[in-house]
Amino acid sequence: MNPKLFLKFVSVSFQKQVTYRFDCFVGIVNGFLYVFIFTSLWKALYSQFDTTVHNGYTLTAIVTYAVMVMAVRISFTMDDSIIYRKVMDGSIAIELVRPTSFFFMNLAENVGNSLFHTMARTAPIVIISIFLFDVSIPFEVIRFLLFVVSCIVGYILVSMMNFIVGLFAFWFIEIFPFLLFKYAFYTFFSGGIVPIDFFPEFLKPLVKLLPFQYMLYFPTTILIGRASLAEAQSIIMAQLIWIVIMGVICSFMWGAGKKKLIIQGG
Amino acid sequence: MQQNNIAIKVKGLSKDFDISESGKGFSGKLKALFRRKRKIITAVDGIDFEIKHGEFVGYVGENGAGKSTTIKMLTGILVPTSGSAEVNGIIPYKERKKNAAKIGVVFGQRTQLWWDLPVRESFDLLRVIFRVSQSDFNSQMKKLDQVLDLNSLMGMPVRKLSLGQRMRCDIAASLVHNPPVLFLDEPTIGLDVLAKESIRNFLAEINREEGTTIILTTHDMNDIEHLCKRLIILEDGKIVYDGETELLKQKFVHEKVLEVEFHDDGNVIHGIPGVTVIREQGCKKWLTFDNDNYGIGEVIGTIASRYKIKDISVNEPSVESIIRNIYNNRVTLATPSEESPTK
Repeated sequence: MNPKLFLKFVSVSFQKQVTYRFDCFVGIVNGFLYVFIFTSLWKALYSQFDTTVHNGYTLTAIVTYAVMVMAVRISFTMDDSIIYRKVMDGSIAIELVRPTSFFFMNLAENVGNSLFHTMARTAPIVIISIFLFDVSIPFEVIRFLLFVVSCIVGYILVSMMNFIVGLFAFWFIEIFPFLLFKYAFYTFFSGGIVPIDFFPEFLKPLVKLLPFQYMLYFPTTILIGRASLAEAQSIIMAQLIWIVIMGVICSFMWGAGKKKLIIQGG
Repeated sequence: MQQNNIAIKVKGLSKDFDISESGKGFSGKLKALFRRKRKIITAVDGIDFEIKHGEFVGYVGENGAGKSTTIKMLTGILVPTSGSAEVNGIIPYKERKKNAAKIGVVFGQRTQLWWDLPVRESFDLLRVIFRVSQSDFNSQMKKLDQVLDLNSLMGMPVRKLSLGQRMRCDIAASLVHNPPVLFLDEPTIGLDVLAKESIRNFLAEINREEGTTIILTTHDMNDIEHLCKRLIILEDGKIVYDGETELLKQKFVHEKVLEVEFHDDGNVIHGIPGVTVIREQGCKKWLTFDNDNYGIGEVIGTIASRYKIKDISVNEPSVESIIRNIYNNRVTLATPSEESPTK
């Protein structure tokens, strides 16, 4: 895929988002509310016990996690019904007659979307939260760089997950239930609500087998300093292995889905 | 190498659609949750044809005959169930991207431009997508602007264009990379007479000047008569005619149409052997009769002797009426033409 073309489409998708300014304002309020609710819950929970450390998290650490995992999650906002809508209205036909990869065009569209959310929502929410809540992040340049790399790889994993679920539309056309399932799995098993360390023991082996933890949980642990720099590197390695696995699934699904595709509306 | 002259080669091409139906009403929908009724629809049923470079081919058929499905297989959107197709020597459903770089496609019902962007930016995106150099792009746009008059539209957002303006832009968009083969799926749908005319002229020109191979599907038989030397007629997914448009007339014209203007409009025409009234409008009536079994002099004589005639003229049936007859199975197509594919 031509990088120039990729960036062009990122910018088109970004500009499209700018037109929905009211959505963005609501998005900031909504995101901040989440942060407020989760941090308040943790504070209330921690105050119930005499011990100050639970599953390796002090109150400061868990509040920092809650704020930062939310920040990453908001930055990872993408429209997961893009493929579904393109199949529904048949406009996917137009994209398929272009000499471009459907996967990468879809990724470019997502990236434009996410860049906008990062600038317009994540940034203000993080800044406000740092002042309002007890947030503590270790300041290390290398750590921050590793976090960014881990986020990018995690982001591609999320995009692949949405691509795979979106492709179900080639078979079923109506995929709303799948999207709901995916949302539930993604937010919970990625550590989007509670860090994986707090999961009950019987769930932990299952979580290890799933790619979700590499999307939000691990990048966040790198940022807040729960993972050492050496661990961060092996996290990124594991993420890359998942990219390969998910990539194979994507291309397999794409190959099989093409044969099933029906263009709606002639 | 004779092969090089072939733009499109289609052999035994078929496409089945697996349609699952949900029942009617709430209970039907509920049942469909557990057991879906599956239905296989054969949209295209083993068709063969070859199109040479520089041909202008009309691809017609009723709604649901399989025209669009064929186009979508040749453009790499759909994967055929069986059979094979080659466009510019490329198998479109195996090498979609490679094929896409060498074809232009216009779907009359949807736009390939970006709804929210000004026309100019859409063209610029297409330039990058198709990897056209800036200088090639400029000269191509200049050429397209001359015939399609695009300059005045360049600054407008696509969603504000009228249908005719949008179609001009869409056709130009399909030609940004100057493809050797152009697929047009109902490009004149919903356009007024003038807009149709200008698009027709443009298509004839690029076919003539650039040697662009054009495959046109349309419901407008005027498009076909004006543009397409060759006609492929599809019915229920099968080819029922493949040959010259002119030959179609000679082969299937067993009827002639008489346009008669009477002195007064009260005349009831009946009892003339072989003649049926197909249309009436005041004093004017259009009659058709079987050309093979009844002589034209005989028919006119009979009419003239019974009624007072003001004016009379003999018309050849249009391609449209011939095709309508084919759709209605009033004409048998046992041996369509010499050019029909042989197995």
